[in-house]
Amino acid sequence: MKQKTLTQSLSWLHTWSGLIFGWLLFAIFLTGTLAVFDKEIDAWMRPELPTQLIDQAEAAQRALDYLAARHPDASTWNIGLPTERSPSLSVSAGEQRRGGGQYLDPHSGEPLEARETAGGGFFFRFHFTLNMPRNIGIWVVGLAAMAMLVALISGIVIHKKIFKEFFTFRPAKGQRSWLDAHNATGVLLLPFHLMITYTGLVIFYLIYMPAAMDALFDGDRDALFRELRGAPAEQRAEAGRQPTLAQRGEQSGERAERQNGASERPAGRGERPNGQGGRAGEQSRPAAEAAPLTALGPLLAEAERVIGPVAGLSIQNPGRSDARIEARPVLGNRIELTKGQSMQFDGVSGAVLRMPTESRPSQLTQRVMAGLHFAQFGGYPMRWLYFLCSLASCAMIATGLVLFTVKRRRRHEAEGAVGALLYRVAERLNIAVVAGLALACVGLLWANRLLPVELAQRGGWEVRVFFLVWLATLGHAIVRPWLQAWREQLGLAAALCLGLPLLNLAGMVRGSHFWLEASAVALGALLAWTCWKVGQPPQERPARRAAKTLAEAN
Amino acid sequence: MKATTPPWPVISRILAAVLGGYLFTYAFTAALARLLPLAKVDALVVATLASFLVYTLAILWAFGCRSARRAWAGLALALPLAVIGFWPQLLETLG
Amino acid sequence: MNLALIASLLLAYAGMLGLCLGMERHWKQLASPRLPAFCRRLCAPLGGGLLGLSIHAASFVWPGGMAVVAWFGLISLGGLALLMLLPYAPRLALWLPAAGGLAWACVYAGL
Repeated sequence: MKQKTLTQSLSWLHTWSGLIFGWLLFAIFLTGTLAVFDKEIDAWMRPELPTQLIDQAEAAQRALDYLAARHPDASTWNIGLPTERSPSLSVSAGEQRRGGGQYLDPHSGEPLEARETAGGGFFFRFHFTLNMPRNIGIWVVGLAAMAMLVALISGIVIHKKIFKEFFTFRPAKGQRSWLDAHNATGVLLLPFHLMITYTGLVIFYLIYMPAAMDALFDGDRDALFRELRGAPAEQRAEAGRQPTLAQRGEQSGERAERQNGASERPAGRGERPNGQGGRAGEQSRPAAEAAPLTALGPLLAEAERVIGPVAGLSIQNPGRSDARIEARPVLGNRIELTKGQSMQFDGVSGAVLRMPTESRPSQLTQRVMAGLHFAQFGGYPMRWLYFLCSLASCAMIATGLVLFTVKRRRRHEAEGAVGALLYRVAERLNIAVVAGLALACVGLLWANRLLPVELAQRGGWEVRVFFLVWLATLGHAIVRPWLQAWREQLGLAAALCLGLPLLNLAGMVRGSHFWLEASAVALGALLAWTCWKVGQPPQERPARRAAKTLAEAN
Repeated sequence: MKATTPPWPVISRILAAVLGGYLFTYAFTAALARLLPLAKVDALVVATLASFLVYTLAILWAFGCRSARRAWAGLALALPLAVIGFWPQLLETLG
Repeated sequence: MNLALIASLLLAYAGMLGLCLGMERHWKQLASPRLPAFCRRLCAPLGGGLLGLSIHAASFVWPGGMAVVAWFGLISLGGLALLMLLPYAPRLALWLPAAGGLAWACVYAGL
């Protein structure tokens, strides 16, 4: 790089960081978009489970009956209650709080055999680890997020007519249209882009930037979390013993003070693997005599009154006099990410032992930012806003990637062999990353229905199908002529999306997932429209595709 | 970028931005957390939350300034910042 | 609830349309040439006001902070919708806000 103006060098930076990380970023954004509806996709992928929402207290009673019959001696019972987003009931016994649970029929309490599947959680995990070993994946995604941030800021600087061209979109004009589409999606959604990228980095802030922790705590993560939590857990459990259900009324006013005094707060589960420390001590106390559990109905009602809708319960020492019941809220009763937060009850009397605590302001900031990224709050309308905004983000990245090749199509002959090679590689990779990934994602859903139910390691095979399809699209993009490759991949993806409801109908077991299938059909229709537009007269093709990507975003 | 021009200044800048920028941000965050007049944990959280903005600006600086040498020179500020951030550890090692 | 959501979205759209009409390029594209020039200068403040009403409507759907978050999304999507309508269906782009006003009136009547 020779002496250049600031705009020129930042433009160079924008182009190349955007290109190199754009492919990665598109994959991260598209899977992130799908992960907005991870629970819904999960429910679709387990059609054996009921989709009718049932009263939580009733479901909890079924779960208790089952656990008492099958695991009477377990130290801990965990119950995943049916909620608005995932209406299934699951239980497990033992230390493990999540995963590996047994699904139950919430009406009869009989165990249900759900197929083994990668589930909607696959998109969620891919979104932040790219299916690599967790730590490596997190770093790669973090680097991509930094590149996104850099590309956004440099994009603002180099975009001269940012306000003048706020609403400018001129379709069917080749390169001009691609640039318009890229600029407009970039500028109009700038608050969303900045928010989602920065908050994404903030989720793992101490992993990415441990400097302050190294300086102030000598890198001692546990010491830091102890201080963030305030008083040790044991002490707090004793201090909070007084309030009972009956007294709770008068106490709610004093709650804030009491919590500030003893702000116990388990940290995010992703950040602190050894979070059970305090509880282990509790369990080694001298054995108590048998005592029946309190009724769960009123307890759930009280928990819901204080922390909002409840996602699950865990019961320690069930059936004994020192039983403890912990209620966890659904994520997203507030913007703040409440992972790890809970409210504790005495298992016999039903008295409240511990209220959920408020975060200190600095930590609250971090949790609100993480919550903004997780998008668990605000119900379905908010979820749809996030979904549509991130689709528009995908469109911005895709149009940027295509713009790179369109811009250089005329120029690359002049740039020598290396330039030509780079141009070809970029052109092909664009197809495999944009159209190919869409195909692979819907392919995962098809694999969920088509693979035999009794297949061993079925979830792993679904993921393998996903990657094989993706790899196949790359091969296809290399051997086929450029335009045909775009059309064929988009067309196939469209057909698979449109066929999703039929596939569900053809299966032996089918749930009713109207909204998911309607959305799949809508996306399929858009893909089909794109595919058709791509086939229009070649000189206009680029513009048409831009139009579709945007339309999709709308 | 023409493939014929020697890419060394570009590579130098990329290194300055990605590695130099990270080291600078690391030192800056440590120093900021040390200097903020807040409780220890609050200063830590605030400084770390701001660090991604600092890193972004450092990268932009590395590419935006006039020459690769200037970029490195600017990022060398990391050294005094690191001394501020880690002086207790430093004293311990020296003494 | 849903009505307020739709009203909020349409108001966000109308607000963006106002800002858009305030720009000379789009004024020429959309408005009747018979309208006097001062109408154009009214458009931007009017648009800003409508964006304000949009966040008010959003506050019926979500509590405080969430409404602000949603509002950013709503105006972005409203602007994007306008961007797509302008080249393909400019007439529709201009008349959509009428529906927005109606829906918003319904919300007030209902609350």
